[in-house]
Amino acid sequence: MNRGNFLVHLMIAVVLVALAAVVGQIGRWRSMLKVQDTTPKKAAKITPVKVAELDGRPELLVRFKSGINYKQVAASLNDRVEDQIESVDGLVAIDDLDDADVEATVRQYQSMSELVDYAEPNFQIALDDSVDRNSRPAAFAPNPVGAPNDPLFSDQWALNNTGQNGGKANAHIDALKAWAKTQGSAEVVVAVLDTGVDYTHKDLAENMWIRPANLPEYTDGELGTIDDLHGFDANANAGDPMDDNGHGTHCAGIIGAEGNNGEGISGINWNVKIMPLKFLGRGGFGDVKDAIESINYAIQRKKAGVNLRVINASWGSTQRSKALEDAIKAASDAGILFVAAAGNSSTDNDRRAHYPSNYDLPNVLSVAALDRNDKLASFSNYGAKTVHVAAPGREITSTWLGDQYREASGTSMAAPQVAGIAALILASEPKLSMAKLRERIMKSADPIDTLTGKVVVGGRLNAAKALGE
Amino acid sequence: MGFDRDSATEAAKRDLARRLGVSEGEVSVSGVTARDFPDMSLGAPVGDEASAMMIATGWEIDLKANGKTYEYRADKYQLRAKGFEGKNYLVKG
Repeated sequence: MNRGNFLVHLMIAVVLVALAAVVGQIGRWRSMLKVQDTTPKKAAKITPVKVAELDGRPELLVRFKSGINYKQVAASLNDRVEDQIESVDGLVAIDDLDDADVEATVRQYQSMSELVDYAEPNFQIALDDSVDRNSRPAAFAPNPVGAPNDPLFSDQWALNNTGQNGGKANAHIDALKAWAKTQGSAEVVVAVLDTGVDYTHKDLAENMWIRPANLPEYTDGELGTIDDLHGFDANANAGDPMDDNGHGTHCAGIIGAEGNNGEGISGINWNVKIMPLKFLGRGGFGDVKDAIESINYAIQRKKAGVNLRVINASWGSTQRSKALEDAIKAASDAGILFVAAAGNSSTDNDRRAHYPSNYDLPNVLSVAALDRNDKLASFSNYGAKTVHVAAPGREITSTWLGDQYREASGTSMAAPQVAGIAALILASEPKLSMAKLRERIMKSADPIDTLTGKVVVGGRLNAAKALGE
Repeated sequence: MGFDRDSATEAAKRDLARRLGVSEGEVSVSGVTARDFPDMSLGAPVGDEASAMMIATGWEIDLKANGKTYEYRADKYQLRAKGFEGKNYLVKG
């Protein structure tokens, strides 16, 4: 090889190596941005942190004027150009080899106005938890990765059990790990078939379903046309499903209270759309007809294009209704998962059936309740053949009427844990069929010895496993 | 209007007197106990009624008349007769 060729090849090699370095660094930056994207949501305060305190990272970002030999300039100041940002002409990341004061170095570059457009410290985007730290639990502070800034999060043992209040560490659905993959999606609609939902609650309002402008009002042959802007009230044959009891609002919060908004609690889904279907009255009880009307509404809305994938049913009775069973089967045919509370009578559903949880349909998932020590709650029904999974359901903090929060217990509180996880899975895998979704949930349980012979899967639901984390 | 402990007890006495065809004075209160019920039908569902599966706090009201005891259950929203002649009744709610 002659000298001329050698130099040409050397130059090409240098260019390729430099290009690879730039591409690699851009990849690293992209990775960083992805990680940061999964952590804060809109309410997270962002505070610039100078990376001068961080080792091995460029301290400055400088944009040179066009045509300037920035490497030469940097070298003259004993600095090193670590990367050129190709999408912005002249913008480079600079590592100050002297590790001098960042502000002074920035001023140094700024003073070269004939060469430099601007210079600024390289800020790392980080969550400012200085305000929220005071309201966060001490146990939470050391490992905030993926955790929301909601002040009552420390009470939410079902999501993250650190052993607080006498609980057993890790007796939870492992939400933090799940959230590393997804925090939910506003594209997924979960119907809460209940006492209604306080859709004005400050921790729920953002995640409530609202009838899209291009979807006509609900029309029923008998009921007429109903303005279902916020959902459906079968109890009053009306379009306002405002909760007048609190129970439905509690269930809704478990599924999808807005996460990381610095307010109250976090739902299993930080983002989701909750459709209230009211059929239980102010006292928390109602009749089968209204339940069927509501399920019918849900199916019709699904057929009209609403991405309604899950119905949560935190209620029941010991009376079998074929009509209700048929309505739930129709929901199954429409691809809607039906998550049902197993009941609170401390009885065996294999022997004494509880409905709708006992309907043997492909979309029904029956849920027992656990306490904070991974033990079946004393009130919970069970059934080796008829109760499918167990989930936290005792001392569950969630949203309540009037912008309040309340602790409540029951298989009512366990079912929405499952409905919430179903929505989380669908956020990650929107095209997953109902059958596969149900199967995924059942296969992702953490085995618990004491649940063997009590529930079909012999274990407690695990959101992270369900997401493949 | 919702119930409190006293108003629920008075309403239960009136209801039992009516059912038995006796005067309220012949109905005595043997005990009123705050307790948790398994669901929002207060563990006394009527017919095919469905109810929310949340532990509900209320009162068990035990009444006595004609030498027999009768159980009522109440919370702030409702009053129920539990197992009156073998059946549950929603008195108010």
